[in-house]
Amino acid sequence: MTVSRRTFLGAALVVAVPVPALAGPAAGAGPAAGLTPNVFVRVDGRGRVVATVPRPDTGQGVRTMAAVLVAEELAVEVEDVTLEQAPGDTATYGSQAVANSTSSRQLATPLRTAAATARCLLIAAAAARWGVPAAACTARGGRVHHPGRRPLAYRDLVADAAALDPATVPVTLTPPERWRLIGRTRAGRSDARDIVTGRARYGAESAPRGSLIAVVARPPWIGAQVAAVDDGAARAVDGVVAVVRLAAPAAGQGGVAVVASSTAAALRGREALTVTWTGGTPAADSRAWLDELEAALPPAGSPVRPGGPGTAFPGAAADGGADPYLRRVYRMPLLAHAPMEPMNATAHVTADAVRVWAPVQDPGGLRTQLARSLALPEARIAVTPTLAGGAFGRRIEPDAVLEAIACSRAAGKPVSVRWTRDDDTRHDSYRPMSVHRLTAALDASGLPLTRTHEVVTWPLTVLPAFANPAVVRASGDHFPYTVPGDVSVALRPAPIRTGFWRAVYAGQFGYAEECFLSEIARHGGHDQVAFRRRLLPAGSRLHAVLDAAAAKAGPAPAGVACHLEYGSAIAVIADADPATRRVRRVTAAVDVGVPIHPSGVIAQVEGAILDAVSTVLGAQITVRDGAVVQSSFRDYAWARIGDCPDIDVIIVGSQAPIGGLGELAYPPAAAAIASALAGPEPVTGMPYGVPVG
Amino acid sequence: MGRFRLQVNGRRQVVDVPGDTPLLWVLREELGLTGPRYGCGVGACGACVSLIDGAAGRPCVRTVEDADGARVTTIEGLSEHGDHPVQRAWVDLDVAQCGYCQPGQIMTVVALLARVPDPSDAQIDEALRDNVCRCGTYPRIRSAVRRAASLVRGAS
Repeated sequence: MTVSRRTFLGAALVVAVPVPALAGPAAGAGPAAGLTPNVFVRVDGRGRVVATVPRPDTGQGVRTMAAVLVAEELAVEVEDVTLEQAPGDTATYGSQAVANSTSSRQLATPLRTAAATARCLLIAAAAARWGVPAAACTARGGRVHHPGRRPLAYRDLVADAAALDPATVPVTLTPPERWRLIGRTRAGRSDARDIVTGRARYGAESAPRGSLIAVVARPPWIGAQVAAVDDGAARAVDGVVAVVRLAAPAAGQGGVAVVASSTAAALRGREALTVTWTGGTPAADSRAWLDELEAALPPAGSPVRPGGPGTAFPGAAADGGADPYLRRVYRMPLLAHAPMEPMNATAHVTADAVRVWAPVQDPGGLRTQLARSLALPEARIAVTPTLAGGAFGRRIEPDAVLEAIACSRAAGKPVSVRWTRDDDTRHDSYRPMSVHRLTAALDASGLPLTRTHEVVTWPLTVLPAFANPAVVRASGDHFPYTVPGDVSVALRPAPIRTGFWRAVYAGQFGYAEECFLSEIARHGGHDQVAFRRRLLPAGSRLHAVLDAAAAKAGPAPAGVACHLEYGSAIAVIADADPATRRVRRVTAAVDVGVPIHPSGVIAQVEGAILDAVSTVLGAQITVRDGAVVQSSFRDYAWARIGDCPDIDVIIVGSQAPIGGLGELAYPPAAAAIASALAGPEPVTGMPYGVPVG
Repeated sequence: MGRFRLQVNGRRQVVDVPGDTPLLWVLREELGLTGPRYGCGVGACGACVSLIDGAAGRPCVRTVEDADGARVTTIEGLSEHGDHPVQRAWVDLDVAQCGYCQPGQIMTVVALLARVPDPSDAQIDEALRDNVCRCGTYPRIRSAVRRAASLVRGAS
């Protein structure tokens, strides 16, 4: 991994923002409680710095990011910060959604301000005790220092600091030129030791002692509903305590749950169930779905014609007789999230409260949603987010939680619903299929004069219908080059559940657009990097990342793509051997404004590159006879270590504000890898070189 | 129901469960060893890999009856303080993202290094072929295996 020296020059001036004080009696409660100036940070009576992380960690590293920010402003080391995970509570913590690559953008300033407030109060307390100006004091290493005085440890100052009125103490953030940790720290992930010792607690490990276990018999074909259940044999299985019919949508997607004293007993019980199913679409086939999407493309007209009919694309004859334009259709598959930790949730429903423990992406939003659907005040609903073994957009959805609530209500005890890998693969909320037709008119030198991007796809069933047209466009349409043109989107009814998948529609749009651009450049005999540089607007942040990636990757790269979204910029260059379908090397240069935790920044890009390798080489979900064909990693062909290319990630510094990153690298990495694998051949879909659908 | 004897992380254990119970559920729910993770239940992902009689095994596809009398080491039994060379290498190189697959990756590598102290890239790829990491930590896993190999060699 490479971190460029320019990294540390960046960072716009950030000013402190108001951070909510903790409501209730704990606020400023003196030595026992320590110093609790706000909801994110406290310094306890022993001088220990504790940060409350408002959003769950799904592997994206938000807990480590919080530790870096708080350690910076409280002048301690990253590993000195004790992390606590906030329960679902948007009134206290604001949005808690791990979504749309927003965590670093939305949390950095509040968390820094929270910690800086504590530091300024501790300094004010020391200054008052010494009778010196606060400006002459500094915090360092968990102590406040003044020239000529013996340093005072935080633990000896918390009582005085807690007695101060925070409104009277000005809060200053540590300026970028004095950062020790932000963008610089070599610290690893805060939970690393728990992870490597097996102590880390995900969903299943967070269920309260004595929880029952439930597994669910799910529809054998899409949309099937339970017509009848014979559960006699299941109830006779040793350890089975209840069989619960789950009705969609109040109890998830519907099915029959077997609740037992152990996972093995629940699985045996499910095996013994006889369920009769009805309805649904038992003949559904994903090849037909894709053909229907393609058939719904508007008639192939001509794009706007600034160059007139004479602006023929040189290879046009081969592409459709007299058609003077380059056109290409891209067919995109269904993709499953397939987090390593399958979906699961634990709930305990009592007479007056509902408690939930689950790996979720939005604990606060879930609590609000449950309050509405259960008609309970939020105060009676507790949502405890656990570590999540991956999420990728899947854990925004509450289905497993709703199942657990229904099972607990029926069983009268805490119940932990566990999805098997088969359940998780076959009953996901998939990335939608889509078909993209791109058309360009070229000038005499092969540069595109205009472009048309026509998309036919499905909406996200996780969203209300009215929201989808705007979401598809906002998520998908990020073409960063100066080619005038038009994007049109037609939405067809989704025949299967669809949901947010890392980068959402940008994954499909960006892939088609960059693969198409690569083909235009190749036909015109242009260098892929120089061609893009020429099409980028002056002053685009993409120039610097493209140059940095090209300098590292070497001349005349085959696969190149850029992406500008979430307030960040990235260029990806791939090298592959088309003959062996081996991706040899991927180089990415990324500008996220401020790379708070550099190792974590690099990890997010590496991870998105492996998603791209996986989905370009062959991972896809297909549907035959109404059912998802794939059932585990055996047939959902995710990349293995042997498929992993050499990866270089370069962090490029800039003056931009903190940008988002979790999803940024996936669209360009997929396009660059596919273009490199294709060599002189056109890319016509994802995966590359495999029938789609 | 049957009575099965196991030696787990150096302790003798007797469990009363049906003989077809996968060893993974015995470890996790009877013995409270939750480091081996459930990822697939069909031996396809490697999240539960533990040492069974010294070799990398998959407790999700091994029945307790079949494992009767076996010596099992889970991630919890790898080292007292989390400082086995493979664990140290994983921390030093900041391998994990979500971390869910890592106990299985680590135990697979422990078994590999016991057989092949200085594995080639091809041997690393082969040993870890059926250990899926959905977060994409493979580049760091490769580096960490090399680091762990040199730590083990240095220690012996």
